[in-house]
Order: sequence, then C-alpha cells, then structure tokens
Amino acid sequence: MSISSERNVGDILIIDLTREKVVKREVSPETVKRYLGGRGFNSKALFDMIPGRIDPLSPENVLALGNGTFAGTALPMTSRLHISTLSPLSGILGDGNAGGEFSAMLKFAGYEQIIVTGRAQKPKYVFIEDDEVEIRDAEDLWGLTTGETVDWLRDEHGDEVSVAGIGPAGENLVRFATTMVDKYHSGARGSGAVWGSKNLKAIAVIGTKGVEPADPERFYEMAKEDIDYFNRNEFVKRIYSVIGTHYGLIQWYPSWKYFQVPLSAEELPIGLRPQDLAEYEVGRTQCFSCPLACKDVYYLPSTGEYGTASEFESIYALGSNNCVTDTEAILRMEHMADEYGMDVMTLGDTIALARLLHEKGILSREELGGVSLEWGDAEGQIELIEMTAYRRGFGNKLAEGYRNFAKLYGEEALAYCYDVKGVNRGWYEVDFINGIFTLSHATSTRGADHLRGRSWAYWENDKLMDIEAVRRMLEADLPDYRKDPVGALIYGERACTLADSLGRCKGSINSWLQAVPLVWKYPVFKGTAMLLTAFTGMEFTEKDIIDATDRIYLTEMAFNVKQGIKKKHYDVKFPPEFTATERAKAQVRRHWELVDEYLRRRGCDVETAYPARETLEELGIGYVADEIEGKEFPEWDGPVREVA
Amino acid sequence: MFVLAVIYENCTGCHLCELACSFKHHGVFDLSLSRITILTKPEVQTSVQVYCLQCQDAACERVCPVDAISRDKNGAYIINYDRCIGCRECAYACPFGAISFEVEARPIKCDLCEGEPECATVCPHDAIVYMEEKKAVRELKKAKAAGVAYGLYGGKETSEYPRKKAEEAVEYLLELVEKSGELDV
Ligand code: SF4
Ligand code: SF4
Ligand code: SF4
Repeated sequence: MSISSERNVGDILIIDLTREKVVKREVSPETVKRYLGGRGFNSKALFDMIPGRIDPLSPENVLALGNGTFAGTALPMTSRLHISTLSPLSGILGDGNAGGEFSAMLKFAGYEQIIVTGRAQKPKYVFIEDDEVEIRDAEDLWGLTTGETVDWLRDEHGDEVSVAGIGPAGENLVRFATTMVDKYHSGARGSGAVWGSKNLKAIAVIGTKGVEPADPERFYEMAKEDIDYFNRNEFVKRIYSVIGTHYGLIQWYPSWKYFQVPLSAEELPIGLRPQDLAEYEVGRTQCFSCPLACKDVYYLPSTGEYGTASEFESIYALGSNNCVTDTEAILRMEHMADEYGMDVMTLGDTIALARLLHEKGILSREELGGVSLEWGDAEGQIELIEMTAYRRGFGNKLAEGYRNFAKLYGEEALAYCYDVKGVNRGWYEVDFINGIFTLSHATSTRGADHLRGRSWAYWENDKLMDIEAVRRMLEADLPDYRKDPVGALIYGERACTLADSLGRCKGSINSWLQAVPLVWKYPVFKGTAMLLTAFTGMEFTEKDIIDATDRIYLTEMAFNVKQGIKKKHYDVKFPPEFTATERAKAQVRRHWELVDEYLRRRGCDVETAYPARETLEELGIGYVADEIEGKEFPEWDGPVREVA
Repeated sequence: MFVLAVIYENCTGCHLCELACSFKHHGVFDLSLSRITILTKPEVQTSVQVYCLQCQDAACERVCPVDAISRDKNGAYIINYDRCIGCRECAYACPFGAISFEVEARPIKCDLCEGEPECATVCPHDAIVYMEEKKAVRELKKAKAAGVAYGLYGGKETSEYPRKKAEEAVEYLLELVEKSGELDV
C-alpha cells in the first residue's frame, strides 16, 4: 500500500496540545512546487503562523518537523529531518537538521510534516502508527534521558518505532537543548526547550506504507546511479567511511583555547587525532538510506556505555577549544550531551567563553560557587555539563547559552562573544577565503552557521573527493569564489536550502557531492529537477528549483525581520584586542561592502536589509511583503522573555 | 554454484538493500515488501539480516501442501503463485523467518532476482555478496577474523583494529592533501 497522495507527498499533521486535537491537512501540488518540502515547508509554516516577536517558550511558538521530499526512497542520504521553530537561544529562526530513521518512518506513515502548537497541561507524547495518531500521557517518561526514552517507547510500541524527543535539558528549558532522534541524532538551535515548554516529551512513529515514484523506473535508475557513485568513490571508501567527520581534525583547524589558536594537523595534540578516537570505536553506522557510514559507534570502558557520532564538532567544542585532550572524557561528554539532549557546539563554546571570562576576571570566583574553570579540566567540565542540563548552580547561567550567558555579565563580556544574531561560531578575519567565511555567517538566516552555504561556496571539501566534478560545476554555472565571492555564496545558500528541503544530508563533511544528488553528473539544479519530475510527476525546471530556494530564503529573512533583525545585525565580530587595529577596521569596511552587494543581489533593500516587495512579488509571495513593508519592529536583542 | 552470502559484520544497517529489493519486485520503496529484512541495534553495531538461505533441505519446500515451491537454475526456491493457496505453511516452517506474508495475502521470499541480486548491487559495505561458493567461504572467513579484531563478539575493550584503519585513512588523506596543492581547477 502506498501513501495516499499521488504525488508521494504525505499529509501535514497539525497537533494542538492545548486542545489535545489533531488535524490532518493535504498538501497541494502548488505548495510542493513552491516550497519543495522539509525546511521549505517549515519556514513557510513559521512565517505564516508566528505573528511577531513572542517568547519562544510561550505556547504561541510553533514547532515544525518536516521530512524531506525524497525521504524513504532509495535516493541515498535523503532521510534528514528538518526541525524548525522560533529559537529560544537566538530569538530568530532556529532550525536544525537531524538524521536517524524518523523522517523515513514519518514518510512511510503517510506524513510530510508535523506542526505542534500550544501547550499541554501535563507531560505528553504522541504516538503515530500510519493513520492512527494519539496524544498520550508521558508522566512516566518525564525526567528520562533520551536513551531511556527511546528504550521505554520501544518496549511499549515495538522495536520498529522511531523516536524524536527530548532529554532532561529540554524539559529544563536549557536554551540550546536539542531535538534528539533515535538516541543519537541531534537537531540544534534550542528546539528541545520548545518541546519542553510545550510539555511534549516525544513523538514515536511507525510507518508501514510504501513510497511509489510517479515514474518509478526513471527515478530508481537515477537513485542507483547516485548510490553507485558513492560506492565506487575512493575518498568515501578509504576516508569518509573510516573516520567520518574526524577528517575535519586534520583539515579544518579545530580551535584551541576559546578560538585563540587554530590547530593544524601537525599541532593536533595526542588524544584528539582520528586514530586516538578510533581506539574507542566498536563499529560504524549512519542514517537511514545512507551508504557512507560516517558515524562511529564507540564504547566507553569507564562507564560501560555505548555512544555514537563523536563528530568533529564535539571534539573541538568540548575538547580542544576548552584545552581538554583526554579522549575518553570527551567521548563521555559527547554522550552526556546526547543523553541530556544538548547541542555540543553551544555547550562547549559557552563553557569555553566562561573559562575565558574567568581568566580575564570578568567572571568572579564567587559567581562560580566552587566549580573549577581551569583550562583543560575534564572532570570539572563533566560536572558542569550535568549542572547545565539540570540548571543547577552556575549551570543555570550556562544553560542560557552563549550570548544570553555573556549578557548576564555586561558589555565587557559581550565583547568576547563571537556570535551573529545570537548564534556562536568563532571569529575569522574577513580576508579569510575572500570574505566568504564572515559573510556567510552574517547572512545565514539562523545566525552564524557553517551549513547555510559557506563551505559549498568555496568547495571546501570537494577538491579532495572529486576535482573533476568541481571543474564541471565551474564550467556550468557555479561562480568562482576567487572572482565572485558573493555570487558563490548565494549559489551555496541555494544548494543548502535545496538539500534541507529535499531531506538530503549536506554531508557531514559539507560537500557538493553529498548535498545535491547527481551533482557529480549534472549541473547542480538540473539533476534535482529531473529527480523531482520523476518522483512527483510534475514538471520541474531548473528555474523552478532556484526560485523555490529563493522563496524559502527570503521568507526566512522576512521572518527574522519580524523578530527585529536590522541591517546592523549582519555585522562581523572580532576579539576586542583586534577590533581596534587598522587592519581590523579595513576588514570591517570590506565586510560591509560585501553585505551591501549581497543584499542587492538577493533583491533586498540595502539600507534596511528587508526583502524588497518587487523581489517577493516576482517569486509570487507578495503576501510576505504585506507583512513587513513599511513596518517597524522593535530591535532584536536576543530572545524575548515574557516572564522572568 | 553462486550463493548469496551475508556478512553481518560488515552491515551498518542502512536499509538500502531493503529499499532496492522491494523496488525490484514491486516498483515501490516499502520495507514490508522486501525479501531481506535488516534488524538494527546501532548501539551494539550488529545488524542482523534476515533473508532466505536457499537451504539444501528446505523446510518451506517440504511443507508446502500443493508443491508450489521449487528450485530454479540459480538455486533459488521460487513460489509458483498459480499453485500457491496462501496457507502460509512455508512461512511458519522456515527456521529463519525468511518468508513474509503480511501483505498482498501471499507469501513472499527471496528469489535471487534471477541471478542478479539487487540487494548485493546496492550494498555499500560488501555485507551482501553474490559469488561462487568457494570464494564466498573465503570472504566470510576474512570477515569473521576482522570481526574478532574489531572486538565485535562480546569484545567490549578498545581494540587496535579500528585504530589501524584510521591511521591508514589519515595517511591517505595527507597524501591527497599534498597532491591537491598541485591540482588546479
Ligand atoms: S525460505 Fe527458509 S526454509 Fe525455505 S529455503 Fe529459504 S531459508 Fe530455507
Ligand atoms: S536476491 Fe533479490 S529477492 Fe533476494 S533479497 Fe536480494 S534483492 Fe531481494
Ligand atoms: S545494504 Fe548492506 S550495509 Fe546496508 S543494511 Fe543492507 S546489508 Fe546492511
């Protein structure tokens, strides 16, 4: 039995927790064509449903979970779940992307998106088995870690269930709590706290239907070609499937001591090298339908636990950036973050910032209440992580997350906060990669981010994997970042929007070859247009796809405008010691030139950074302009708090 | 004689084989229509593939009351649906749970895809191979040895094997990095 719609697009499930009501709504072909799925559906839902500046932890906030268009098919790596909400960490759009099996299961159950609104009186979870949807009591589940929650739900509903939900951090409204899928897959930017604020512990889903492409033979042929490409690629076989994102430890200069030193491969301390981490490995795994096996499964001798996906980000954020080099301790912390349901990057960066503020005397000893903030203190950090998840003592402050945490200690502390729009990402000079790094962090619609287009703009990881593919892309239509950084970035942003909407993984090493299906063979948007046509039975052109990604991106920008984002929030942050130099001042000027050019080419007003009516109307979304044009929104300064 | 050998030590649980199998037979991606089933437990890394072993002395064939199951030239036991009465005896008799019957009211089982197993062509990690019997046995032995080295069988201690593999990966990566300096696009 196949899912109900002929276009292979399931229904939207709207769950109102206040009234405990569930409504199913069909998706029109028009909507598929205009917003594709996943992130596209989510961003539109948030723009349409969230009126303006509200407290992200109030019942008015909306939690949207969208599987990508191709979820559940043999097109590889298309099982990412996109989770979007008004972020309690940043106070702007906050979306995260998690793997696991949930999105495929949701598709097999016949749904394309879940939208959660309101707030339940008591803890609840939602159980979905194909057409049956039930809101159930979760009082027995409240307080459990993510692993325990999944085990409980598997006991109750069978091993086939896939689970998205939260751990104690989400319940305790830690502002960077994550949505966790199937124990180990995490979607960042604070959505976990939104589940907590809604008294929603988990959604468990079993789907038993099938997905049948409109032109099955054609679709499968292309899907298989893509699988075959990865199965034959030397880089994938010998590096990617062996060390996964630990590749980045050699290639991405993990930072040491709160972004003070970028470590080269030779400088990498013992304990943080891929081979040191591999010592704890007992196997490899991946998300549904992915041929790469980029994730390690590790065993912790000291606690007897298994964990998975000790990604590059955990190693640098919890390890090197805090000067911690004890391999097992870092893996333990990573596992704790998964079990409590917290984002490792914001967690690690916030702790590292605290260490720095302490060293500078901005954070007093009394403030700490006895906890140690010595650089490299692994045991102390393990304690801090637990205190943060439960908001105990000093952990209650850390739980506010990066910029909100720094704000507690005034301007002096904020000066060391390297965020854009409330989201942490370290600092970089504007010269670096022709301005792309700093520009991409500034223009990302969810705050500073490396997965919004940045690495794609300058084909960071593609050269090693398949240089021929890069050559072909440049010959086709990819702007060369060395001559046209802004064009290259916009191109990258489009591709990432596309990947997030189709459900395709952007590749844990962030490459073109993974983020866009068939890109090794066709120009970027052409292969996708062919796939979408074969899958949905509707005619897609390259232009349809580019327009869809722009529609999504500008809707997101407009959403942020309503949250009080102004042009000044596209700024670049440097450490205070550097800011005062002439070199820095010249770089800041260059940055703003790039921002202006970006806004112009995106079709936005260069003075206000509002998407222009003309552009929106051309994309057929004039209604977005009606909501922002000529309107003043109170200036953004982090998330709104209704109650103290 | 070719056999479809499953090397569960290599399986990472991606489910691509199930999607491929259901597509090949029904033109749809549907786990319940796959002839091979992957049961995963990511935390202990062992995925178990449930599939038909094409037994020498096949219980399914023996119990079928209407002789609907017979062996084809590739060694696959095939169900003749013109004869099959849908009693499910074969599914109950198979010691491996390799026959499903929950959909379409008829038993379905692996037919070796007429000698071109679709699952084996998509499996990214050589966890399903279709090869000459002797070669398959060698592959299996190698995989078991690697499994022991990996510490898969009750081994909970850290092991040298993944470390060595990671070292090789890093070495190869550094080689590529060095070369990439000379490459221009
Ligand atoms: S279905 Fe079961 S009994 Fe029949 S040949 Fe296959 S494994 Fe043996
Ligand atoms: S050989 Fe063919 S029928 Fe058998 S499990 Fe593989 S794909 Fe399915
Ligand atoms: S395709 Fe191979 S690795 Fe993936 S689940 Fe099947 S047997 Fe395992």
